[in-house]
Amino acid sequence: MKIQFIKSIIKSAFFLKALFVVSIFMLLYISSVSYKHTKALNESSDLLVHSYKIQYQLEHVLSMLKDAETGQRGFIITRNPVFLKPYRSVEDQIYASFIKIKALTIVDQQQQANLDSLLKLIYARLDLMELSLESIRKNTVTENQLNENLLAGKMVMDNIRTQINKMEDLEISYFNEHQKKYEREVIFSPVSTFIFAIFSLLVFILSFIKINKDLSVLRKSNTELMITNESIKHAEVIGEFYISQWNLVTGELTYSDNLYRLLGCEPQSFKPSPENFLKFVHPDDESIVREATDNIVIHGKTYPHYYRILRTGGELRYFMSTGKFISDEKSKMHIGIGKDITDYHLSNVALEERNHELEQSIKELESFNRVASHDLQEPLRKIQTFISRITDNDKVNLSEQGKEYISRIDSSAHKMRILIDDLLLFSRTNKAEKIFEKTDLNIVLENANQELAHDIEEKNAVIHSVQLPVLNVIAFQIQQLFVNLIGNALKYSKPDIAPVIKIDCEKLAARDYPDFITDKRKKYFKIAISDNGMGFDQQYAEKIFILFHRLHHTTEYVGTGIGLSICKKIAENHNGFIVAEGKPDGATFILYLPA
Amino acid sequence: MPKQPIHILLADDDEDDRLFFKEAFEEIKIYTSVKIVNDGVELMNHLTQDNIQLPQILFLDLNMPRKNGIDCLLEIKRLVHLKDIAIAIYSTSSSDKDIEETFIQGANVYIKKPSDFNTLKKILEQVITVNWQYQTSGLNRDNYLLSL
Repeated sequence: MKIQFIKSIIKSAFFLKALFVVSIFMLLYISSVSYKHTKALNESSDLLVHSYKIQYQLEHVLSMLKDAETGQRGFIITRNPVFLKPYRSVEDQIYASFIKIKALTIVDQQQQANLDSLLKLIYARLDLMELSLESIRKNTVTENQLNENLLAGKMVMDNIRTQINKMEDLEISYFNEHQKKYEREVIFSPVSTFIFAIFSLLVFILSFIKINKDLSVLRKSNTELMITNESIKHAEVIGEFYISQWNLVTGELTYSDNLYRLLGCEPQSFKPSPENFLKFVHPDDESIVREATDNIVIHGKTYPHYYRILRTGGELRYFMSTGKFISDEKSKMHIGIGKDITDYHLSNVALEERNHELEQSIKELESFNRVASHDLQEPLRKIQTFISRITDNDKVNLSEQGKEYISRIDSSAHKMRILIDDLLLFSRTNKAEKIFEKTDLNIVLENANQELAHDIEEKNAVIHSVQLPVLNVIAFQIQQLFVNLIGNALKYSKPDIAPVIKIDCEKLAARDYPDFITDKRKKYFKIAISDNGMGFDQQYAEKIFILFHRLHHTTEYVGTGIGLSICKKIAENHNGFIVAEGKPDGATFILYLPA
Repeated sequence: MPKQPIHILLADDDEDDRLFFKEAFEEIKIYTSVKIVNDGVELMNHLTQDNIQLPQILFLDLNMPRKNGIDCLLEIKRLVHLKDIAIAIYSTSSSDKDIEETFIQGANVYIKKPSDFNTLKKILEQVITVNWQYQTSGLNRDNYLLSL
């Protein structure tokens, strides 16, 4: 989860970098295009100014010539020298203009050539003027000659005009040419620049959104991280554990604050290091901790280990530490978890003591049981043997009352014998070795019937049994159980009716489980042993399994009230259950045994 | 020619049981010679004397002071001249542990002391009439514990 998130951030950072590179290139492109554009614009405006300057000078030259011509004409007509005033300054001015044009067209060979021709034409025109004026001043001029001069002047003038036009056209053609080239180059740039600008704007907006989004994710995860950190700190205090982070590549080691607290120090009051930690370890356990540390560093192994800590102040605490390696291509970390298990340890020790005491008292109970059952047998056996000696040999010497008393003693001794035998059996059911073996219950039932053969015959009892399964059981206990249940059925039969005992068996479906079977996954066999005897009141159905609990008066039926308790114990030994159902026409005992 | 009696030895610390035992053999109509010792130490002293009549059958109580029946059984089975004596364990206990152990150590039969004198007579009669020399070859765990 976390790693996924970090990866997405890294990816987004790469994406952002790519976006910035792209936008920088776009900006560079836009700037270069704009620069080129502006430069071209400047060039054409310079060219335009240049061309206008030349035109202006050429027009100036033409107008000077015209002024001179006009003046000359005025003088010819009026003979008044006033008209000649502009003519006198014209040559200097034309010359000045020429210098300027010459300078402006210095790199242009063709215009220089044109200019030279123009200059020749102008001088030719001026010469013609001078010639006419000279002849007028001397009054040597004839009408024809004058006409001829003026005609020649007009022709030269026409040539000048043509020449000037030619030069102006050339300049205009230069400009046009440049304009065309400029348009060709620049026509594309405004559109592309605009598109690029829009595009980079989009890129910037996109980056902004992306950064904003990342930032909010980062802020959110930062908050989560803070909460997690806080929780861990609290958890450490509550759970009395600490965390250490050990970078095995750089050797950098950090201890959580709670480690210091658990050692009885102020948080971060000493530099985290295995050696500093060892100062708190109980001297006898130092080797344990040292070995665990060595295993982490040298063998890359970590495992739970237990040791004692002497806190500052000398208090003894029990610690357990374990850890885990976390590694990637760059680093290898050991995350250690340590826990103060003092309370747990002490309660465990107390528990062990209790256990020991319990074992002791169980042993005492066992020996008590041995005394109560086994050692009581010995004197009882002797009493019975002596009784049998008296009844065999000395019966004739006894009074009737004596015989009666002897028979009562015998009956009591007999009851005591049964009680002791049953008690012995019960305690043996409790503690005998529980060896489970695959056993054919049909054979077990057959053995039980043989054990009861005498009673069965005496009572003319009939036993019907269905086929029983083969189960993993303690065979002799199940046999005892059958003996007790069938024995009960025989014992509590109705006086005039021959006992009929039915044994049914079925594998139980989970939906038919009685409520007390809580584990529905286990499979159970239900074995029901029912009789046609006197039954019992259903309200005693649970009580009859209680030790020494009897429903009948001792004089009616011989019994100790232990038999069914033994059955219950046997069922429990097999993780099974036994219940009883009583009716006036018989009792049913149902045994549930795990398959 | 007078018939040879069956020599029987009993080791039992209980006075009453010794009495029952003796009386039972007096009533059994088989020619026997019964010798009785009071505990394990006495038993071993008796058996290791020179020139004594060794019993054909030894009835051995398990729970005796000084030296118990199991120890005696072990010792007897280690001694070459005694190991062929038929041994009947004669005990109040019928714990599986005792039955198992004595069987493994080579006792021939296990008798749980009955609580009826007539039963006792029947059992003893049955035990001494078995020819143990032949019986031992077919030791059987199932009929080791003698029941009537």
